[in-house]
Amino acid sequence: MLKELKELWGFRELLYVMVQRELRIRYKNSILGIFWSFLNPVVQVGVMTLVFGRILNIGVPSYSAYILASYLPFMFIQFCVLDSAQSVLASLPLIKKIYFPREILPLATVISNFIHLLIGFGVFFMFLLITFLRHPQVNPFQIGTLMLPALLLVSLMMAIGLGFLVSALNTFYEDVKYVAGIAMYLLFFLSPVMYFTEQVAATGANVESGNWLFRIYHLNPLAVLCTAYRKALLAPVDVPIRGAEVSPPVDLNPLYYVWLVVFSFGTMIFGYWFFNRVKWKFVERP
Amino acid sequence: MNKTMIEMKGVRKTFLLSKSGIASIKTLLLWWKRRELAKLDVLKGVDLSVRQGECVAVIGKNGAGKSTLLSLLARIYKPSDGEVTIHGRVAPLLELGAGFHPDLSGLENIYFNGVILGLTREQIQARLPQIVEFSELGDHIGAPVRTYSSGMQARLGFSVAVHVDAEILIVDEVLAVGDYNFERKCFAKIDEFRKAGGTILLVSHQLELVKKIADRVVWLKNGIVVQDGSADEVVAAYLAEDPANN
Repeated sequence: MLKELKELWGFRELLYVMVQRELRIRYKNSILGIFWSFLNPVVQVGVMTLVFGRILNIGVPSYSAYILASYLPFMFIQFCVLDSAQSVLASLPLIKKIYFPREILPLATVISNFIHLLIGFGVFFMFLLITFLRHPQVNPFQIGTLMLPALLLVSLMMAIGLGFLVSALNTFYEDVKYVAGIAMYLLFFLSPVMYFTEQVAATGANVESGNWLFRIYHLNPLAVLCTAYRKALLAPVDVPIRGAEVSPPVDLNPLYYVWLVVFSFGTMIFGYWFFNRVKWKFVERP
Repeated sequence: MNKTMIEMKGVRKTFLLSKSGIASIKTLLLWWKRRELAKLDVLKGVDLSVRQGECVAVIGKNGAGKSTLLSLLARIYKPSDGEVTIHGRVAPLLELGAGFHPDLSGLENIYFNGVILGLTREQIQARLPQIVEFSELGDHIGAPVRTYSSGMQARLGFSVAVHVDAEILIVDEVLAVGDYNFERKCFAKIDEFRKAGGTILLVSHQLELVKKIADRVVWLKNGIVVQDGSADEVVAAYLAEDPANN
């Protein structure tokens, strides 16, 4: 694996150009071009503010910020998984004609999505600033924001690992992308994106099970990831549970974060190993 | 001088062909015990060595394994058995324009292709005028490649490949795409490349062309080297076996 890493380093220039190409092609034939990368998160912020601030009115101040803090990383992982499913297949004509380390294909997909995640968080912080100007009691900058680079790194490792696995598997079995699509759809509801982890803890079923459901729920690393972003970037907040009651903010057990880091790092290493094992078979798939 | 650039020792290549066609998890689960995978031996132990400055042509009928041989040298495949050793940078011309993205402009594609072939962006920047001039694309270089004719794509692809300072050029039947003038220009460039000490391995069905530019010809038949010698000798033997080969 070290030999492959060394070779990959030799081709870093190609990776750079590939990422550039992905970013360009995405909006190549559109009038607004790269501006779409900004517009997408802006529209998301607008819709969420409207729905959760005005229509549903949950009672949590700047609820949409709490949604977005989890929504952005979740979408990043989702796009990485779904896009990288096609990354090797779409370039099959190319890799049948010319050699370069095949790892570059899913890596370029993940990195271009990562750039979109960074843009998304840029918009996110602008939104926090605007909220702060309108409601000075909402502090836009938490001490936990310093953890953002670490969180981004963990997300990137997870995305790279999943990208390697999905792109390699989908090249041989094209059902994988449908399985991945369904899995991501389910995980969206099984992760605290549209709700809070405190609400999971307070469900009757969880209390009856002696908090076991809560533990099992957090075996899903995406659930931990979503909560990690939320806790780091935003002020702790009381969450309405069971109708009229309110739950104080609950900190996650540090073990869950350890699990998240171990999972992400492990997936990256395993994905890279697996990809390298099968990459020579891509062009020969029966 | 005259060091070995390409060395193939006992190279075999076997492909697995699935009879059912589409690979899917369903077929994997349903048929995992009786999957029908036909084995196809394309190369059955090929030895070949090419020294620096040589121009070697591979001839043979369709299905003899010529393209597989070139693909192995271009590192598209790994040999099933045996060893392939290459000393020096390879520019494969397996299909002109294969590495182009239709939505990007000619200019952007030059960068993309050049980087795949191992140049840095600065190096490409430095050669850009030569590449554009050789391709004769003029103002079209800024237009998306999907608007190009096949001849224009071929010119651009060849132009990039000969300007990356490769030591070995691997050519698969691609020079027949451009018009007469461009073909002549390509051959002039190939001559220049060889005078500078470059090594060429090519596949062609045009026996006259092979006799003209190759020093040595390798006749491949059903995955085995039948004859390896001077161009006139091998081409004559090849024609003698079956006059229809011409």
